[in-house]
Amino acid sequence: MYADKVMSAAEAVARFVRPGAVLGMGGQNIGRVPMALTHEIIRQRIGGLTVVGCNLSIGMDQLVGAGLVRRCESGSGNLERFGTTFCWRRGIEDGTLEVEDYSHLAMVSRFLAGEMGVPFMPVRSLLGSDLLPPPDGGRPGKAVVTENPWSPAEPVVLVPALQPDVSIVHVQRADPLGNIIIEGFATHEPEMIRASRHVIVSCETLITTDEVRAHPERTTVPFLYVDAVVVQPCGAYPTSTYGFYDYDADEVSAYQEAARAGGPAVEAYLAANVWAHGTFDGYLMRAAGPPHLEALAEAMREIT
Amino acid sequence: MPSGDTPAVGAGASRQELMVIEAARRLRDGEVVFVGTGLPLLATTLAQRTHAPHIVMVIESGVIAPQVRPTPISVSDPKAMYRAVRLGTLREVLGGLLQRGLIDVGFLGGAQIDRYANINSTQIARPHGIRRLPGSGGANDMASHCRRLLIITHHERRRFPERCDYITSPGFLDGPGGRQRAGLNPDFSVAVVTDLAVMENDPETCALRVTALMPGVRVEEVLAETGFRPEVAPDLRAVAPPASDDLRVLRDELDPGRLYLKAEEAASSRRA
Repeated sequence: MYADKVMSAAEAVARFVRPGAVLGMGGQNIGRVPMALTHEIIRQRIGGLTVVGCNLSIGMDQLVGAGLVRRCESGSGNLERFGTTFCWRRGIEDGTLEVEDYSHLAMVSRFLAGEMGVPFMPVRSLLGSDLLPPPDGGRPGKAVVTENPWSPAEPVVLVPALQPDVSIVHVQRADPLGNIIIEGFATHEPEMIRASRHVIVSCETLITTDEVRAHPERTTVPFLYVDAVVVQPCGAYPTSTYGFYDYDADEVSAYQEAARAGGPAVEAYLAANVWAHGTFDGYLMRAAGPPHLEALAEAMREIT
Repeated sequence: MPSGDTPAVGAGASRQELMVIEAARRLRDGEVVFVGTGLPLLATTLAQRTHAPHIVMVIESGVIAPQVRPTPISVSDPKAMYRAVRLGTLREVLGGLLQRGLIDVGFLGGAQIDRYANINSTQIARPHGIRRLPGSGGANDMASHCRRLLIITHHERRRFPERCDYITSPGFLDGPGGRQRAGLNPDFSVAVVTDLAVMENDPETCALRVTALMPGVRVEEVLAETGFRPEVAPDLRAVAPPASDDLRVLRDELDPGRLYLKAEEAASSRRA
């Protein structure tokens, strides 16, 4: 348990991401998406994945574009101002990608049930909507409506616990044991991390365990849940990392252009930006380079 | 300035600008508002910088009470987090504030909206298969739990069908008593602010009806751009032209790069 868990992205992904895994995805939209770990999964072409999260965006879409995803369970798929997640949309529309839809609260409640070790969590969202399976019985596993045992005739929705086989997240700070510090907004990650069987964390900065022990109240999730720590500055690029760097609109748009076109354009994007490089640093140098990364860091300093 | 094919209305504002201003007016000082991305974020920031300085914004990524800095493009954009009192988690804002009942107003952007204010942001039927949309996000949670729902969207016939193909987020479902039967809080109202008009639910029938028109817009234009046939309120009023300060703040402070308003105007011109 007190082992040093620092390793390369290649080793972490090879050890903990299995073909066919249920993969929990951190981040939201253009914020703190674990791109370095996503690229590594694409580089190793680990397929048959079920990707789960609340909002799924550019990381999920690249995995779909690489042909590695069988199914998604989430509250939304999109990149807001940059458009939809085009590979995801195309996969759903042509029937090659299964999806199960929830609201964001329902998804985080599923992770909460997983975190708490209980089989389901009640919510009062989804009632009356088509996010509930039809009354003639939907696929097992999805939400069910029941009555509040203490107030019969009051409907309540039960959503099934979700414990991903492995989750990937990118955070600001971690120590070698895997104590992690998320700064700024944390989305669904605390619940998802604690619900997961394995967790791979990439971090901007490696800190010491003494630094963690000096300010234990700052620890977002303690090391017991974490299997691997990958030190990767700019590991969420081209999405932002709060307190470190802003998102890169040009690079997000470059991917979106390829994703919208689909087919060979996606293949070419992934070839040039993922498969051409042995590590994520190769991509960072190709797509951004130090002066541009410094400009994104300056843009973040200006607004925080 | 408004583009050539977007008619200028009161005090030189385009209809798109006045739509944002009118939506902002519907937020009251001191209210707790759960804000969706895009135009809702712009309109709520406008309210905060004009008549409602004590508005409390809550954003689903976990942001509580920010003083938004222009011009965020996402709920995860750091500009939407500026000077927040807490950057927390999705569960604490969607669960601990919204589902818990501590939010006054839910504010959503465009989607498909039907007669009973049900919202579809999941999928639209097409002759051959479906067109997949982003999904619920926090919208189902907002429509399920807030007492007042504010929607801002362009007024296009295809956006206002008689009945949504898929109900992502519940309005009044099948009409009077619908929310109660489904187990949702029946204490609920909806206002839809568009570039042509304002529609609000009739307290009796629960159906959306036209309650105000943008300056220079005739009711026939609204009906022609609405897929269902809405009633028109007997006390139909005109949306007031913007105060000069509203327009200045919107143009010069909030969207100086025209990230939203220019694109929105272009979107509107395509329709014309």
